[in-house]
Amino acid sequence: MIALIAEKDLREFVRDGRLVWAGGLIIVLLTTALCLGWSRQTHIQSERAAGQALDYEAWLAQGDRHPHDAAEQGMHVFKPEPPLAVLDPGIEPFVGSTIWLQAHRQSEIKFRPAQDATGLQRFGDLSVAWVLQTLAPLLIIILGFNAVSGERESGTLRQLMSQGVAAKSFLYGKAIAIVSGIALLVIPAGFAIAVLAFFIAPVDARSDVVWRILFLGVGYSLYLGFWILLVLAVSALVRSSRAALLLLLAVWIFSSLVAPRAVSDLVAAVYPTPSRLQFNEQLESDMDHASTDAWRHDLGLSTKWDPALPLSKWGRALQVDDHAGYGAFDKNFVSLWDTFEHQQNTQQWIGLLIPVVALRSFSMGVAGTDFAQHRDFSMAAEAQRRIIQDIVSDDLVQHADPLGNAHFSYKAGAALWAKVPRFDYRLPSLSFALAHSWPSLLVLGLAFLASAGCATVAFSRLFARSELS
Amino acid sequence: MNPPDQLRMFWLLVRHEIRVLVTERSLPLVCGLLAVMIGYGLMVGLKQTHIREQMVADVLAHQHQTAASNILKLKDVLSGAETPVPFSNPANPAAMAGGLAGRFVILPSTPLAPLAVAQSDLLPNYYQMTYRSKVQFMYDSEIENPWNLLSGHFDLAFVIVYMLPLMILAISYNLLSAEQEGGTLRMLCSQPLTVTTLILAKVFVRAIALLGCAILTPLATLLVLRPEMRTLEHLNLIMCWCVLVIAYALIWFALAALVNTIRRSSSANALILIAAWTVWVLVVPVALNLFVSLAQPAPSRTELATQTRIVTAEALKRYEDLYSADYRYAVDPKSLLVKEGHIEIPARMMAFFLAKRDVDESIEKLLMRFDRQVLAQQQLIDRFGFLSPAIVAHEGMASIAGNGSRRHLAFKDQVDRFHGDWRRYFWPRIADSHAMTVQDVESMPQWRWVEVAASEASGDAWSRAGVMFVLAVVLGASGVARARRYSIV
Repeated sequence: MIALIAEKDLREFVRDGRLVWAGGLIIVLLTTALCLGWSRQTHIQSERAAGQALDYEAWLAQGDRHPHDAAEQGMHVFKPEPPLAVLDPGIEPFVGSTIWLQAHRQSEIKFRPAQDATGLQRFGDLSVAWVLQTLAPLLIIILGFNAVSGERESGTLRQLMSQGVAAKSFLYGKAIAIVSGIALLVIPAGFAIAVLAFFIAPVDARSDVVWRILFLGVGYSLYLGFWILLVLAVSALVRSSRAALLLLLAVWIFSSLVAPRAVSDLVAAVYPTPSRLQFNEQLESDMDHASTDAWRHDLGLSTKWDPALPLSKWGRALQVDDHAGYGAFDKNFVSLWDTFEHQQNTQQWIGLLIPVVALRSFSMGVAGTDFAQHRDFSMAAEAQRRIIQDIVSDDLVQHADPLGNAHFSYKAGAALWAKVPRFDYRLPSLSFALAHSWPSLLVLGLAFLASAGCATVAFSRLFARSELS
Repeated sequence: MNPPDQLRMFWLLVRHEIRVLVTERSLPLVCGLLAVMIGYGLMVGLKQTHIREQMVADVLAHQHQTAASNILKLKDVLSGAETPVPFSNPANPAAMAGGLAGRFVILPSTPLAPLAVAQSDLLPNYYQMTYRSKVQFMYDSEIENPWNLLSGHFDLAFVIVYMLPLMILAISYNLLSAEQEGGTLRMLCSQPLTVTTLILAKVFVRAIALLGCAILTPLATLLVLRPEMRTLEHLNLIMCWCVLVIAYALIWFALAALVNTIRRSSSANALILIAAWTVWVLVVPVALNLFVSLAQPAPSRTELATQTRIVTAEALKRYEDLYSADYRYAVDPKSLLVKEGHIEIPARMMAFFLAKRDVDESIEKLLMRFDRQVLAQQQLIDRFGFLSPAIVAHEGMASIAGNGSRRHLAFKDQVDRFHGDWRRYFWPRIADSHAMTVQDVESMPQWRWVEVAASEASGDAWSRAGVMFVLAVVLGASGVARARRYSIV
C-alpha cells in the first residue's frame, strides 16, 4: 500500500508538471553551480599553489641581505581552497586568502573577494549549498502542500481510509513520494559533487573528502527530511490546500530569508564586534605596555630604542620587542575571534527553531569553509611569521653589527633563508570540523525528530477524526 | 457601460473592498506586519549608520588628539625642551608622512544612509593616510564577522525588495479567483461593471494601504530622526526613493492582476506568483551576479600578491644602500635635533618612503584594473538589471542611500589623489632634510571629501524608476487586455 500511494503521488508530480518545471529549474541551477564552482576552484587552486611555491623560491633566492630587511620583505602565504568549497563556499567570499607575513606585526588576511564585486554579491552566491538550503524546501512545499489536503478536498481520503490504510502507511507513502521526487534531482548532483571533489582533492585527502560528503549527506538529509515531514504535517492539520500553501510559504520565507538576517543582527547586538579603531588602539596599548615592560626587564632601558642601547644589541632588542608583542597579539586576536565564534555558536542553537541556520553552520563546517577553519589557517600563518622572525632575530643576535654606526651592514646568505621551512599548511581534518560542528548536527537531528513527531501526531489525529466522523 | 458609470462603480467597489478587507482583518494584518518589518529594518539601518558615524567621530577625535599632541611635542623638540625619539619625532617629515601625523581620509554617511545598508558594512569608510603603498592601506577593511556579512542585514532595502512583494502577493494572489471560487464573481458582474474596473478597484485599495505604510513610515521616521535630510537636495532624493518604491510595488500588483486573469485556482495563482517572485528576487540576481563575475572577472589577487612581492623585493634592492646606512643617532642622540631648520633624516626612513612610492608606481596599473573591473561589472548590471526588478530597485536604493559601489569607487578615486598630494607634500621636505615647523604641520594636506552630485543619484533613480514603470505598464496592459476578454461562464 505504501508503494502504491508513493507511486500515485509521484506520477501526479510528473503529470501536473510540478516536478518537471520546478525540478528542472533546480537541476539547471545545480548544474551551473557545480560546473562553475569546479572551474573556479581548479583555477584558484593551481594559481595559489604556484604563487606559494614561487614566493618560497624567491625567499630562498633573495641573495645576501640584512636579515631584518628580509623579514621586512617577508613572505606571502595563500590559503588553500578546501575541495568541498565547490559545494559550499561558506564565508570564503567575505574573507581573504592571502597573508603577507612581515616583521613586527601579525597580519590579517587580505583581499576579500566580495570587495572586488558589486552590491549584487549581497543577493547571494550561486552554489549547490544555496540551492539546497534555500530553493529545495520551496520545491518540497510545491510538491507536498496538498498531499493530504488535496486528497481531502477531492474526497479520495475517505476512499483510502475505507480500504483500511493505516495512518503510518499513509504518511510513509506520501513521504516516500516526495523523497523520491527530491532524490531524482539531488542524488545525481550529489554523485557529481562526490566525483568532482574526489578528483580535486589531493590523493592523500580523498578518503577525508568521501567521509565529509557522507556527513554532508546526513546533514542535508535531516534538513530536507525535516521539511518533508513538516509539509506533510501542515497539509494534514490545515483544512484547505490554499491555507496549507500560504502557511508553508510564510514559514519558508521566514526561515530562509528573514530569520538568518534578523538572528545575525540580534546576536551581533548581544556580542558586539569592536570597531577597527577600538581594536587597533587596544592592540597598540597592550603592545606598548608589554614591550615597555620587556625593555625594562630584559634590557634595563626605560624607553624603547633608547640611545643608550648599543647597536650591537639591536638584534637582541628586536627579539625582546617581538616576543613581547606575541602575547598582545594572542590576547587581542583570540578575543576578537572568540567574539566571532560566540556569535556563530549562539546562532547554531537558534537552529533548533530555524534549522537552516544550523544547516548553514554544519554545511560550511564540514565543507571546510567556516570561520573555525579560517582561524586555523590564520594561526598557522602567524606561527610561520613568528618562525621567520625568530630565525632572523636569532641570527641578528649571533651576528651583531660589526661596523659601529654602520647598522644593517651585516648580510646573511642563502644558508639562513633555507632555515625558514616551507609553509606547508594542511587543511584541518574532518575530526576538527566535527569537533566544531557536532552541535549543529545534533540540532538538525532534533529538528528532524520534532518534525517527524509532528507529522505522526498530525496523521494519527487526521485518521482518528475521520473515523469518528 | 460609459466611463462615468465605471468611475462611480469604481468608488463603490473601493468602499466595499475596504469594508471587506477590514472585516476579515487580512489588510490590517498584512499592513501591520509590513509596518513592523519596516520599523525593524529602519532600526537596523539607523543602528548601522550610527555605528559608522560613531567610527568617523572616533577617528576624527583620534586625529584631533594626535594633531594636538604632535604640535606640543614639536614645540618642545624645536625649543630643545625634549630630546626626540627616532621613530616618533614630529620634526622629522619622514616620520610624519609615515603615520605619526595620524591623519585619516573619511567617507561620511549621507543623511539617507539608513535607507539601505548595501555595501557599507563591507567597504571601509576611512583609511589612515600614510606614505604606505596603496596595496597596503587601501585593502584594510572594517572588522566584521564574515558570517554576518554572508547573512546580510534585515534593513529597509531588504524589506522593500524582498518582503514588500510578498506582502503584495499575500493579499492579491486571489483578487479574482476568490470571487470565482466563492461564486460572487457572477453576482458582481451582473452589476454594471467590467472585470477591469473590479480588478482596478481591488488593486487600488491594497496599493494605497501597503504603499502608504511602506512610504510614510520611513519618511516620517527619517524626517524626525535625521534632521540633516531636511534640505532640498535630500528631499528630492527621498522623493526619488518614494517613486522607486511605488514603481516596484506596481510591478507586483500588475503581475498579481495578470495572473488572476488566467482563471486558475487561488492555490495555482499563489504557486505561479511565488515562482515569479523566486525567479525575479532570488534566482535572477544570483545568476546575474555570476554572469557579471564571468564576463568582467576581477583580476587575480594571487597575481597582485606575487607582483607586490616582486616589486617590493626590487625596491628593497634598489635602495639597499640607504637601508644599510648608519644610524648615527644611536651613539650621537644630538643628530636627531633640529639645526637651522634642518634635520637629519635617517637614511632607512627615506628608503622606506622611496620604496613604497616605487611599489605604488609599479603596481598602479594592476590596482587600477580592480576598480575598472568593478565599474565594468556595475555597468553590466545597469544594462541587464531590467531582467529583475529586484536588482533595479536594490541598486537604486543603495545609490540614494549613498552606500552603493559607485560612491565608494569615487571615494577610492579621491583617496588615490589625496595619497599623491600627501607624498608630493612630504617628498621635497624629506629630500631637503627640512625640519617640520608648526606652520608645516598646520599646512599639511587636508582631506576634503567632494560629495558625488545628488543629481547623479537622483538621475540614476529616475531612470531606474522609469524602467520599472515601463515593466509595470506592460504587465498591467496585458492584465487589462486579458480582463476585457475574461469570461465568467
